[in-house]
Amino acid sequence: MLLPKFEYHDPGKLTEACRLMAELGQGARLLAGGTDLLVNMKKSLVRPQHVVSLGRIPELASLKKEGRRIRIGSCVNIADIAREPVISERLTALSEGALSLGSPLIRNLATIGGNIVTARPAADMPPPLIAYGAKIKLQKKGKSRTIPLDAFFTGPGSTVLEHGELLSEIMIEMPSSLSGASYIKLGVRKALEISLASAAAFIRLDSPEGRIKDARIALGSVAPTPLRSRSAEEVLLGECPSPALFTKASEEAARDARPIDDFRGSAEYRRDMVKVLTRRALDKALKRAIENQEK
Amino acid sequence: MKRLIKTNINGKVMELAVNPGQTLADLLRYELGLTGTKKGCEMGECGSCTVLMDGRPVNSCLVLAVRVDGRSITTIEGVEADSGLHPIQKAFVEHGAIQCGFCSPGMILSAKSLLEGNPSPDQVEIRTAISGNLCRCTGYQKIVEAIASVAHKGVKNE
Repeated sequence: MLLPKFEYHDPGKLTEACRLMAELGQGARLLAGGTDLLVNMKKSLVRPQHVVSLGRIPELASLKKEGRRIRIGSCVNIADIAREPVISERLTALSEGALSLGSPLIRNLATIGGNIVTARPAADMPPPLIAYGAKIKLQKKGKSRTIPLDAFFTGPGSTVLEHGELLSEIMIEMPSSLSGASYIKLGVRKALEISLASAAAFIRLDSPEGRIKDARIALGSVAPTPLRSRSAEEVLLGECPSPALFTKASEEAARDARPIDDFRGSAEYRRDMVKVLTRRALDKALKRAIENQEK
Repeated sequence: MKRLIKTNINGKVMELAVNPGQTLADLLRYELGLTGTKKGCEMGECGSCTVLMDGRPVNSCLVLAVRVDGRSITTIEGVEADSGLHPIQKAFVEHGAIQCGFCSPGMILSAKSLLEGNPSPDQVEIRTAISGNLCRCTGYQKIVEAIASVAHKGVKNE
């Protein structure tokens, strides 16, 4: 299976990549891990005249902790996200997302930025990132802006990215003590799977036996974009965690979901599963929040 | 326009002129004659084109040849030593973990990468490590047994 002809560029600097994207126009596509773009090019779904590789730009491949903030370059690959101790210990839901993406072979190539900008409703990185309140930095020639990740997606495959703009960095504030999160993906098999539904939950308590101070629920595969369930969050905020409260919140999440019928599953089944997954994700998040007291 | 790359393939440093549209799988098979790397789905789903890139298993059908500039690649041809088959290869033979053989290069490379990082994996770790490699003869059980037999302490129970 041959790739269509294209011209290849591999800038060594971010500014150069931005300049190239501005100059080359609509016929240019960015290449990060290649697990999506190259497949689509082989299938002739996209035929870019220019491919701009981000693989030689060191700042996009770095993952660093600065005080209470972690900054992840958009080209950090999924396997490195999964194996990074700061992430598995402090941002457990994100490593759960990373470990459920594709296969080990794909995880060694695919990047966190690629999983975001392709804007697939079933992508595994956005729900945990949204649950952690991640922000993303978008850059183009002469301009940069930072937006919350949950304001990025506009539909399947579409985002607020402007022409020539690229995602350079993902920023997460380290969760404080008494907070916990979890990501659960439902599929029919354990590898190389596009989820039927997924749910990420984040909660923070004001004291060990206390009330929920912060809550974010994000759902995957059940709407045209990764979806934040505000109604479920409203149910949780200011209340003491209890099984009844979590059940009520997961029912709200199921109501917020706008799933479709397709060959993977029916809308009705997906909606039911949102309820189950949200409930389980909340239970796990609470358990982790309580364990996370001393840190 | 072709580009010049420098890469280490199976321990040999090579300078190669590659086409930007050429995948690593095609470079290995058609330019270098390393046909042990198989092409199955060419979409990153079957794992038959698995090679190690800087020690990590990847689908070589999804890597542009230009991107291996400065990296090192191990294919199945680079696994065998002068003294004979690699212990993982021997185990595959001894355990009957090879039927048609199309998935074997990828399975063996995924297993090699697993065992280098984790000398005594459990069942779940072995199965996870080969979860991107499909075997259509359905020899998974024997493949898992073969990998487990090479692991230092044998395999822990599930």
